[in-house]
Order: sequence, then structure tokens, then C-alpha cells
Amino acid sequence: MAMIETPPPHGGRLVERVVTDPEMGKKLAKKCDAVYDIKPALSDGVPIRNVYREIMSICYGFFSPVEGSMTKAEVDRILKERRLLNEWVFPYPLVFDITEEELKDLGVTAGDKLLLRLKGKPFATLDIEEIWRIDNPEELAHKTFGTPEDNPEVVQEAFNAKMPGWVIYKSLNPVVLAGKYTIINEPKLTPPFDRFWYPPRKSREEYARRGWRTVINHQTRNVPHIGHEFLMKDAAYTGDIEPCHGIQVNAIIGVKRAGDYPDEAIIEGHEAVNLGGYIKPERHLVTFTLWDMRYGNPLEAMLHGIIRQNMGCTHHMFGRDHAAVGEYYDMFATQTLYSKGIPSYGFPVSINDVPYGLKIRPQNMREFWYCPVCNEIAYSECCGHTKEKQKFSGSFVRGMVAEGIFPPKVIFRPEVYKVIVKWWDKFGYPFCNAKYVKEKEVRLEVDLPDMDV
Amino acid sequence: MAKYISVLLDDKRMDAIKGSDLENKIDKMFGGQLNAFTLELSDAKAKEIMDAFFTARVDSRSFITDVPIAFSRTLFAEIAKTKSLGDDVIDAVLTQVDEIKEAAAKESEFLPTPVL
Ligand SMILES: [Zn+2]
Repeated sequence: MAMIETPPPHGGRLVERVVTDPEMGKKLAKKCDAVYDIKPALSDGVPIRNVYREIMSICYGFFSPVEGSMTKAEVDRILKERRLLNEWVFPYPLVFDITEEELKDLGVTAGDKLLLRLKGKPFATLDIEEIWRIDNPEELAHKTFGTPEDNPEVVQEAFNAKMPGWVIYKSLNPVVLAGKYTIINEPKLTPPFDRFWYPPRKSREEYARRGWRTVINHQTRNVPHIGHEFLMKDAAYTGDIEPCHGIQVNAIIGVKRAGDYPDEAIIEGHEAVNLGGYIKPERHLVTFTLWDMRYGNPLEAMLHGIIRQNMGCTHHMFGRDHAAVGEYYDMFATQTLYSKGIPSYGFPVSINDVPYGLKIRPQNMREFWYCPVCNEIAYSECCGHTKEKQKFSGSFVRGMVAEGIFPPKVIFRPEVYKVIVKWWDKFGYPFCNAKYVKEKEVRLEVDLPDMDV
Repeated sequence: MAKYISVLLDDKRMDAIKGSDLENKIDKMFGGQLNAFTLELSDAKAKEIMDAFFTARVDSRSFITDVPIAFSRTLFAEIAKTKSLGDDVIDAVLTQVDEIKEAAAKESEFLPTPVL
């Protein structure tokens, strides 16, 4: 019987565009023709995206085989067929966008090298291959996510200003500098993020070291309640001749929306699950990816598959309304992408079965709830007590936390709740409020070493 | 369709209703690990709450959620005072809507950390 092995990176090899030798980095920085200071993109004064996170995820290989800001031909192909020019499937345009005034001030043209500074220090270079214009960002936003007319299999409602991903694309500046990024001054991840930083090469090495042949990924942007914990544990029973050897938690860390938990609490909350021994540390690894969520449900799930395959996972849990907001997409859109495919996005069969598709295996899961009759955390497809069931409604749990009521063990492990309170005390608030959202984009998740250029 | 609102009870709130009839109306949730009152609301009362607080929403269980913390606190205070779980409690809370909104405005900036 064939046993499942670690899949190759998407595109065949891991992209790694990080110069680790500071002297070499300095030399590359000195060759640049102009300097640009990275800043967060805003919508009505609220941060919605920081391109630094895309540069990090591209250069450390999370988005392999993408190597930089995309050319017009590449963006057009993605919008039409969800493929890169080298054929590999990819869901979203990723571009380095600036204003006309900024282009004028920089005075760069194709062939020039741009030094990108972050927090006032040298960070990366962009080798400009092409400068192109986005004529109509609203149209680009619609084409990125789809419309009910063009994508009737999965899109139920036209996207609008309440959809964060749509706002990100609609807010793009008109000028795109396309070309490869190279990080020339390696950032230092700040605590608590530093100990969860496992770029694909490192995570693959870690799984080999641990002897994890099969690894299932859990996508998160939440502090884990008991329902999440049981999803992780039970989904991990898949595998091949035995359950998956490892459970990888990969948190999406980026721009937050008011009401989300702070990223610090999310990542340490997941760690508390293994420190408390509920899933022992030998079987569980908490990691993260820097990315400002687009909430594109099946498209986001395609990106999630790419990231986690690159990290060396063999399986990926997907639930209903995966990475969704509102009711724009059918709640099973992700499961459709991974089962029968979505023809209007260019996939007449499962994303696993198309040429240049994904190798990571989906584990499509339903719901977990507490059942007083079964007297356990039950799986919705097992438990027949639909009348008695008690769901872990997200807003219910958030309301309980906000009222300061110590949650029973059947909702949060006490170790996990203590993490929420630890960061609540630090930020003066249990969730992301306007102050947190704004300050986070100043603080970011990294510091940069001095580099004298 | 009927709407509901849940009032969670921790040890402090349990003390406040000790000895009253309300003790017989406690719902045991999550296998007895969480105590709560469940108020059934008339459509008119549910609408009044939804209209008063723009954050309020109805979840998949037909429960009104995401009301201000000050609303929940005032609601419990009125229940403890009147020993009732009917529409009259909601009416009493809604007479204080301006004060609740004022408190709620501050809630989006700061909430005191619970003592563990
Ligand atoms: Zn049951």
C-alpha cells in the first residue's frame, strides 16, 4: 500500500530570495537607483494592507513559485485562468503599487533597481522589469473575486465595501512596479512571533527531524476554543495507514479587523493547547504566515493549500465558510474547489487533479458542538441530537469573554483563556480595537537591523 | 420567529439571585458547566433592541448577540431587581438606552481585565 510522502513545493522548488550575509546585502542596496519607504495602505484612514507582508511571504517561499510583484500579463492570466505564466495555479494578483506622484519622484524606469525601506531601514530590493497601470481598480477587484454572473457555481452576492479583500484591490494605486523582490537585510521577528517563525525550508527540516511523514494543517485566525481543538484532533485521524503524525497550526498574521482577537493572543493561545498537554507538543507545531487576509473563501483556500504544501504538509483541514466573511460565497465553495472543481475559475475538476495543481490533500470537515446527551464534544455528522446540541457560536464566546466571565472548561481550556487575559491586560482590551489596529501597523511583526548604506 | 437573549451567570451573579424564584429558571448549558438565563423576546422587543444598538445581530440560533457589555450588565441588574425574565425587564433596560450608549462608546476603547 502506498504511503503518503511529503509533497514537493508548489512549482517544484522553494523560492528563497533572502540575502543572509549583511555585507552582500549592503552591496546590493548600494546598487539601487532610488529609495522607497513602505507604508500601510489605508481605506478611510484605516490600515487594510501592508505590502511588506507579501514581500516576506514571497521571499521566504511561502508563496512559491511567485518571486515578486506581477507583470500585467501575469495578472491578466490569473484573473482569467488562476494560473501564473509558468502554468502553476495561483489565486490572486500580487503587486507593488504606487501613485503617479511617487513614480515621478522616484524617476525609475524598467531595468532600474529600487531599494525598499521598512521602519526607516533598508529591507528589500525590487528589480523593476515592467511598469504598468491599473486603469480601473474596481473592475480589478471584481475580477479578482468574481461575480454572481461570471461565477454562478460559488458567488452568491456581488462584492462590495464590506468585503476586506475587495477593498484591498479596489484601493490599489494606479502604478505597478513589477519585478522580483530580494530581502537584503534580514528582519528579526519580534516576540512573541519569533518562536513561531517557520518558513517553508525550516518547517520541512523540522518535520523531517521529528519523523513526521504526514502532517495536517489547521488554518486559524482565532484563539482556539474546544471546538477548534477537537477539529484539530479528529481531523488528524486521517492520514494513510495511520493518523497524521503531526498537526501544524498556521495562523494568518496581518491587518486585523475590529473584533478579531489580537494576533499575539491567537498564536500563544494555540501554543497553550500544546503546553497544557491537550495535544502534546511532540505532535503539534504552531506557526504563522504574514498575510493580510483577502477573505476570498475558495481562492483563499487555494492560497492556503499552496502555503501549507510549501511548508511540507500532506493534508489540510477545510471547514464550511472557509476564510469567508458575509454571505458572498456559497458556504461550501472551498469544498467544491477541492472536490469537483469550479469551472468558471478555470478548474473543471478538483484543484488536485488539474495540471500544475496542488498536491496537498483536503480534509473537508463539518462542525463540532457540545452534546449533553452524548456527553462529549460531538461531530455534527455523528451526533443525532440536533435539538439538544450546543454550538460554539463565535459571537457567543466573544460576548462571554468581553463580559469578563471565566469560561467553563468545556468552552476554553483555562491555559488558553489565561493567554487571552494576558494580552487583554497588555492592550487594555480583549479584542482588536481601533487603537490596536493602528498601532499594529506601526509596530509590525519585525524589527530591522541597522544597515549603513 | 421567536428571538432569544442569553444572560450568563458567573459566581457573583449567582450570589445576587440567591433564594429567589429565579434560581429555578436557570438554564444549564454545556453539561451544567455554564449557568444562564434565556429570555424569550416578542418580535417587537427584539426589534427595539436591534434598532437601539447597531452592533447587535441575530446568530444562527436566533439569539441576539453583540450588544454592548453595558446592555448585558444593565439587563442583569434589572433582572436581579425585578426578579423577572419578561418583556418588562427589556422595557426597563431600554429606558436607560442613552446611558448604555454612552458607556458603550467607551467600551470600544477599554474594558477592564478580569481578575483571575
Ligand atoms: Zn449527541
